Amino acid sequence: MTFEPNILAFCCNWCSYAAADLAGIGRMDQPTNIKIVRVMCSGRVKPEFVIKALSDGVDGVLILGCHIGDCHYVTGNHRTLKRFQVLERLLEHIGIDPRRIRLDWASAAEAEPFSNMIREFTEQIRELGPNPYAGSYA
Amino acid sequence: MLVLMLEDIRKLVKKTLDGGKVDGVLALWRENGRVGPHLFVKGDDISTLEIDPKYNLAAVAILALASGAKKIALIGRGCDERALVELFKRYQIDENAIEFIGMACSAEQAKFCECDIPYPTKIQFGKKVKGVVPPELNDVNEMSLDERFAYWRDAFAKCVKCYGCKNACPVCVCEECVLEDPMWVKKGEIPPAFPMFHLIRAYHMADRCVQCYECEEACPMDIPLTLLYRQLRQDMKELFDYLPGASDAKPPLTTVLEDEKLEEGA
Amino acid sequence: MSEKIRIGVFVCHCGLNIGATVDCAAVAEHAKKLPHVVYVEHNMYTCSEPGQLQIKNGIRDHDLNRVVVASCSPRMHEPTFRATVADAGLNPFLFEMANIREHCSWIHKDKEAGTEKAKMLVELSVARAALLEPLDSREVGVTNTALVIGAGVSGMRAATDIADRGYDVHLVERELFMGGKAAWFSKMFPLRKCEETCVGDCPHCLLVPEFEEVLDNPRITLHLNSEVTNIDGYVGNFKATIRTQPIYVDRDKCTYCGECTNVCPASVPDERNYGMQTRKAIYLPSTGIVPRSYVLDDSACSHFVGGKCAKKPLCVKACKFGAIDLKEKERTQEVDIGTIVVATGFDNYDPTEKKELHYQHPRVITAPEFERLSAYTGPTDGKLVIDGIEPKRVAFISCVGSREKDGNEYCSRVCCIFTAKQAHSVLRKLPDAHVAVYYTDVRAFGKGHEEFYQKVLDEGADYRLRELEDPLKVTINNDNIKVRCKGHKDFKADLVVLATGLVPQHDSPEICRLLNLSLSGDGFFMEAHPKLRPIDTFTDGVFLAGCCQGPKDIADSMAQASGAAARACGILSKMALTLGVETAFSDETCIGCGTCVEVCQFGAITLEEIDGELRAVVNEALCKGCGTCIAACPSGAMQQRHYTDEQILAMIEAVAGGGA
Repeated sequence: MTFEPNILAFCCNWCSYAAADLAGIGRMDQPTNIKIVRVMCSGRVKPEFVIKALSDGVDGVLILGCHIGDCHYVTGNHRTLKRFQVLERLLEHIGIDPRRIRLDWASAAEAEPFSNMIREFTEQIRELGPNPYAGSYA
Repeated sequence: MLVLMLEDIRKLVKKTLDGGKVDGVLALWRENGRVGPHLFVKGDDISTLEIDPKYNLAAVAILALASGAKKIALIGRGCDERALVELFKRYQIDENAIEFIGMACSAEQAKFCECDIPYPTKIQFGKKVKGVVPPELNDVNEMSLDERFAYWRDAFAKCVKCYGCKNACPVCVCEECVLEDPMWVKKGEIPPAFPMFHLIRAYHMADRCVQCYECEEACPMDIPLTLLYRQLRQDMKELFDYLPGASDAKPPLTTVLEDEKLEEGA
Repeated sequence: MSEKIRIGVFVCHCGLNIGATVDCAAVAEHAKKLPHVVYVEHNMYTCSEPGQLQIKNGIRDHDLNRVVVASCSPRMHEPTFRATVADAGLNPFLFEMANIREHCSWIHKDKEAGTEKAKMLVELSVARAALLEPLDSREVGVTNTALVIGAGVSGMRAATDIADRGYDVHLVERELFMGGKAAWFSKMFPLRKCEETCVGDCPHCLLVPEFEEVLDNPRITLHLNSEVTNIDGYVGNFKATIRTQPIYVDRDKCTYCGECTNVCPASVPDERNYGMQTRKAIYLPSTGIVPRSYVLDDSACSHFVGGKCAKKPLCVKACKFGAIDLKEKERTQEVDIGTIVVATGFDNYDPTEKKELHYQHPRVITAPEFERLSAYTGPTDGKLVIDGIEPKRVAFISCVGSREKDGNEYCSRVCCIFTAKQAHSVLRKLPDAHVAVYYTDVRAFGKGHEEFYQKVLDEGADYRLRELEDPLKVTINNDNIKVRCKGHKDFKADLVVLATGLVPQHDSPEICRLLNLSLSGDGFFMEAHPKLRPIDTFTDGVFLAGCCQGPKDIADSMAQASGAAARACGILSKMALTLGVETAFSDETCIGCGTCVEVCQFGAITLEEIDGELRAVVNEALCKGCGTCIAACPSGAMQQRHYTDEQILAMIEAVAGGGA
């Protein structure tokens, strides 16, 4: 059986979640691997959530927010970006492939780019294979 | 040399206390054959004052001030000064309540702590020695991702979740730590879930670790924690031109992107 | 929590929208096995009356204290179902939605995989639902005053509509006069009669009554030459800072005698006539503008820039009425308002970048320039004379800066018909003229537009079809202008008019920041929903009117402005407003490190001394509920209502547990 990655995506209520909705309205075919958790702002996504997800065996984590400059809360996504940069480095230091996480932006109008992100990321995780990091001492 | 320095420090402490500008001087003392922190007040026997071994006093200063002292002097090292700076930023200590008296660490001390900045910005005692870079840093950097993961996995497999690292850390000041919250960390599980437990702690250290080595020294299982945190300090420098404890600059994870970074992000 | 959690799950087929690619019965079966779930139904339309009744009955008959609906996006029907559960006596925040339509059935073709994902999404929602807590909506009072930004046709209409309903309005306009771009048109379509003699389609006759309505309305405070520099607060309770630049002329004292202009030594190009004539530093912008008043442009005035009038300004001396005060200073005031209508309009596309059109040539002009040229209040008193000649051969080029692959992709909607109007204007004024119109489509969809277009064809306008991708070139050779286009003979032209499109105001990103708005892909302000909420924005209490939301003609702008006014009055008429519940709050484990204070964009968090210790305190009226502070809090002392760490972790665990 081929590996079907299990992917978690955090979407902000205003832009990326709306983009996901619009992609649905546009019937844009996407892989079924992604499950979206809605938060009000990408700035709500604690890096600890991402760590927890990877530690619990999720194969990849996406954080999608509004474009820089378009944040509904003005600068929430500024913090998201900075935290993400640190998190990427941290994962690399400890030996986790940082390609398992991705931060990207999708405006409420960007259904097509959103769908592409979903497809690309799913493919990327499929190539990386199952999460080898979880339940390490189990 | 060291003895001479100790004598000089004792003299200064006495003078400081007699001067009456501070309520006490936070330093180390020898009591019943053991060395620990002590807030010297006027009239105390200054001959009990010690400067070795290294003991991070920044967190103790919070207690000293909480117990009623309005202003204290603190005999500290580079890491004490850096920890104080981080605690000032986080409103845990009033900057005006501390008079810092700085001493440089000896080469032996620097080597022991694998410290790359073994001196404060203002050195009143001792001589500046070169920073130390542990050879393991190169080793982990040269490993493949999988090798590195195996390395850390094995290292953290020894963790007995004693929370010694957290308790010894001068800048870990949360009243309740998420790592003790059952919502995040399963009670009674040893070793704690990897990579989660240690990654969360490392992430929390990213913009505040002052490289004092207290955590690693406290760790009964000799986990090379500072090796990891040292890399994060490096990241903060590279990403945001920020070094915890080096200045009163705001932690970059709390601030907005600078104009030139806006384009990149967009 | 002592109460036993009892979750009801309702799976919606949404006709075939979900049912075709998701096996809803299987999803419902799966839900039955989930923890705390005691009651499951699946039905054709959960949002329908019978569907809602099923939820209410479920709550009553099965003692449900949490409800999960698996259907469409919560952005669509969350309010519906919250009201439903509230109707049945359950706190509306004990409701959770799984989006198995937009995020599942509509984007997956494989029914088996789609069904599995839908099950998973229901698992996530059930996991969160179990941890939901009842919340009370917050209520705040409302300031019954509106702010309208922009006094173009849309802003004026919105302001008068709001004032007519009995509410005070601050109308802020950065120009010196009202009417915006429309005030400078020669005529406004649809033209009722197309005679040369005035029949009321000129902006003056059409707009002046509108202007007067604004000026005479005691409820409208007009702030001309002013800009909104800051907005604080939230729906119902905004605070706006208005900065007004001096015009140095007291409008009540000025009698329009013109003595000041006569003596003014300065001469600068008149920007409102695109440099086709000059003006003085103190001048009357146009006889047609309202409010009518002389104004002084300090950037051109020799008193301010240093020169002849440095010490003794000639105009002050010439004014017998003492109407000129050169000491007038910039003023800033704060006003309390409850709602905001944004009517900031558009900019005209600048075709300079299109080198092949030779816009720099004096006889290659844009449509707005043509409007001034043919206006009776314009530099030529309405005579078609340009660069010293009467243009006998006029080419109009449509879609300049619109419908481009690599530029503005959108249609500017008004250019086809204003081009027809301008072609008509040329043919009326110069009946022998040859008017060639290079068009890519004629979009005459408005009321009376198609009829008008046909009439212009009958008048002899030479419409020449050009494919969008076909290059069109203007060549200039010794002042001979030619238009070259595939499929047509070259056209020798005396005048080329570029039908330039409408683009977003150059500073609309600043307005975005001021009001927390978003921009759509085309750069205009984004509405909350393109179909269902075309007037609302994502910022509660802020509404859009006119071209700032996208190109539209005057009739559509007016309609939208009236709509925005109605929406605004919906807020102004309330005694109190219910605010979002997703606010942050900190518990007693907070150590007052101030990290949250630093990250809060809205100044909603302060450090306060409580029992001798510093603690973060959230002003929930200011908190917008983004949760950025919660992610920054290292200890977890800061939490967010309705999006607690525990709830999000439960969803993460549900995803992790359901590995494919």
